Amino acid sequence: MIARRGMFPPMQEVLTVENIVKTFATVRAVRGISFSVRRGTITGLLGRNGAGKTTTIRMITGIFMPDSGSIRWQGAEGAKSFRDRIGYLPEERGLYRQMKIVEHLLFLAEIKGKKPAEVRPAIDRWLQRFELGEKRNAKVEELSKGNQQKVQIIGTLLHDPELIILDEPFSGLDPVNVMLVRDLLRELKEEGRTILLSTHQMGEAEKMADDIVLIHQGQAVLSGDLEQVRRSFGSNTLHLDFDGDGSFLSGLPHVVHAAIQNNSAELTLEPDADPQEILQAAIGRLRIRRFEVAVPSLEQIFISKVGTESLSTEAA
Amino acid sequence: MNKLIAVLKREYLQSVRRRMFIIMTILFPALMAAAFVLPSLVMVKGLGKKQIVIVDGTGRLQSTVEHPESVPARRRPVAAGDREVEMPLDYVYVSAADPEAAAKPYIHRLGAERKAERVDGVFVVPANAFESNDSPMRYYSRSSADFITQQRLGDMANLAIRRARLQALNIPPAEIEKLTNRAQVEAVQISKSGEAKKGGAENLIFGLLFGFLLTMPSFIYGIEIMRGIIQEKSDRVVEVLVSSMSPRALLSGKIIGVAAVGLTQIGAWLLMLAGLATFFAAAVAATGIDLRQYIRASTFIYFILFFILAYLTNVCVYAIAGAICNSDREAQQLIAPIGVLMMLPLFLLGPIITNADSPMIVGLSMMPMYGPVTMFIRTLVSDPPVTQILTSIGVSLLTVMVFLWATAKIFRIGILSYGKRPTIPELMRWVRVA
Repeated sequence: MIARRGMFPPMQEVLTVENIVKTFATVRAVRGISFSVRRGTITGLLGRNGAGKTTTIRMITGIFMPDSGSIRWQGAEGAKSFRDRIGYLPEERGLYRQMKIVEHLLFLAEIKGKKPAEVRPAIDRWLQRFELGEKRNAKVEELSKGNQQKVQIIGTLLHDPELIILDEPFSGLDPVNVMLVRDLLRELKEEGRTILLSTHQMGEAEKMADDIVLIHQGQAVLSGDLEQVRRSFGSNTLHLDFDGDGSFLSGLPHVVHAAIQNNSAELTLEPDADPQEILQAAIGRLRIRRFEVAVPSLEQIFISKVGTESLSTEAA
Repeated sequence: MNKLIAVLKREYLQSVRRRMFIIMTILFPALMAAAFVLPSLVMVKGLGKKQIVIVDGTGRLQSTVEHPESVPARRRPVAAGDREVEMPLDYVYVSAADPEAAAKPYIHRLGAERKAERVDGVFVVPANAFESNDSPMRYYSRSSADFITQQRLGDMANLAIRRARLQALNIPPAEIEKLTNRAQVEAVQISKSGEAKKGGAENLIFGLLFGFLLTMPSFIYGIEIMRGIIQEKSDRVVEVLVSSMSPRALLSGKIIGVAAVGLTQIGAWLLMLAGLATFFAAAVAATGIDLRQYIRASTFIYFILFFILAYLTNVCVYAIAGAICNSDREAQQLIAPIGVLMMLPLFLLGPIITNADSPMIVGLSMMPMYGPVTMFIRTLVSDPPVTQILTSIGVSLLTVMVFLWATAKIFRIGILSYGKRPTIPELMRWVRVA
């Protein structure tokens, strides 16, 4: 809503997480995670449910104190120093059901240190944009679930945060609202805001993220620029679209892993394998509609890093 | 600080706008009045006229029974003050040589279904009652707790016996009348400065009234805070809150906000009370009660001070229950036994008022948890030394500080815990690590 592009030098690291550890009773939820977030980018925090993503986020937002390690915002340590500059949409979303929408939004802005008069115009703008203008005086409980989520998103952005942290923002959204959130995130990035997006939906992260941090069992197993990460995994992935029964593809020589769904397949080959051999073997038994040698998908990268279980089936 | 005020404002406005708040503010005084007046009304009149059979073994009580107005009525213990209350009893007089045998058919009719047959009490006077005190008089009834009727009958018979014994000593009737007349006793409270105030039953009434006024809101609003925290947990609002402010600021905002609601309500009640008192001032003055004795500046200062201390102590306990439980029902189960312990001064209001300076009550008035209510009642009905008042305030302040500190720590972890309720050792660990 407010153009910020050019306000800060692009790609500067603004958030630095260094070797943070958090233990609950006997469970070591986070075991020394380090990564950094660049200004004006979307960083995907990826991992299965229970990997330690939410605990990491809760430490960044100051809900939990790390047992050890440090979190710095533009060099200053401690979540308290930048609490008001964060807009946080938790996975467990909720609003006071009895409150009116406008009152609730004012309250959310006030606990971020804003004065009501400062945010009233922004509330009007956001409500108009999300087509909630006529419901401004309705109680939260009178809204549909989708509209409640929109109110929560407005509450996350109302105080004009520099860092926006979204924990599973797409869960529970219908396809129209998924598009809406996706467009909004792109727009916020265009405005120069920094976004940390935690999700187990690899496809969404692939579409949105500039950088990724892959968390598994409380540790960051991989992090960096998404394109660089994908290239580092080589061009040994084949994407095939075909007609016929492709189940035999997983048994072909030099195929390390095969993800076959309906009439398409993503095959991971041995490092020195020749994709042409696979093509020839497939042509004999299938009608090929697409054949592409590509960098691996995030899902493939995840599987190769942490094991064979699919992320999306685990976390669905 | 602004964030704390935002939470305070939200809690306050949400509560006072609720229909329940408005209803309670208007209804509670009516309920309180009913709670004070009804029991004594029921005790004296509520059951209607009682049918009492007096089986007289002496055969000499007939004139007394037939002229009960000659016997002074029992006073109602609490609400009526010095006024004498009529307690309607209907007597059937039976004279019998063997009173216990003669009483049997009537005893069978105790609590009979048909009204015409029903007898409420059978009072048996043994044949030798005038000569010796060896055989007791007996009062048979369905209710063993009907002590007012029992005492009245006992008084009536004893007075007749005393008169008869004096008559036997040839004392003239006029002298007997003088000798058996009861003298009135008036209670006077003397303060340290030597000031004399009218005491007695009114002290008890005002003590009870203020005791309830001081205690009830902290329980009502304690539950309100507990439910609010559980609501925030189940509505999942809490995560956004604690990512924006410290749990301590959040907790303080909630507690102060709800305290302000409580004070608003009490303020409204006191205004109503003051309005009523002004309206009925003349009537009250006519009964000999000097309201100024109770409505003093110091009373209000002590009231506000001890209200806040009692409130903060109790509310912390409720906040912890809210933070560690996941549903209202779970929290109610947890808080019920603790609530009974916390309400101890409320159950002890009678003894506190009547024995305000006994060592046990003095000790209680300086104890954590129980200090505020007990000490406030003592300042109302007695004149405790300043050192004791200050000790009580100091102990309560310290308690509140420790409670707030521990509650904030438990709150910090508890509000984001959705699983099994923590055990006491786990709670202790939360206090250590948070």
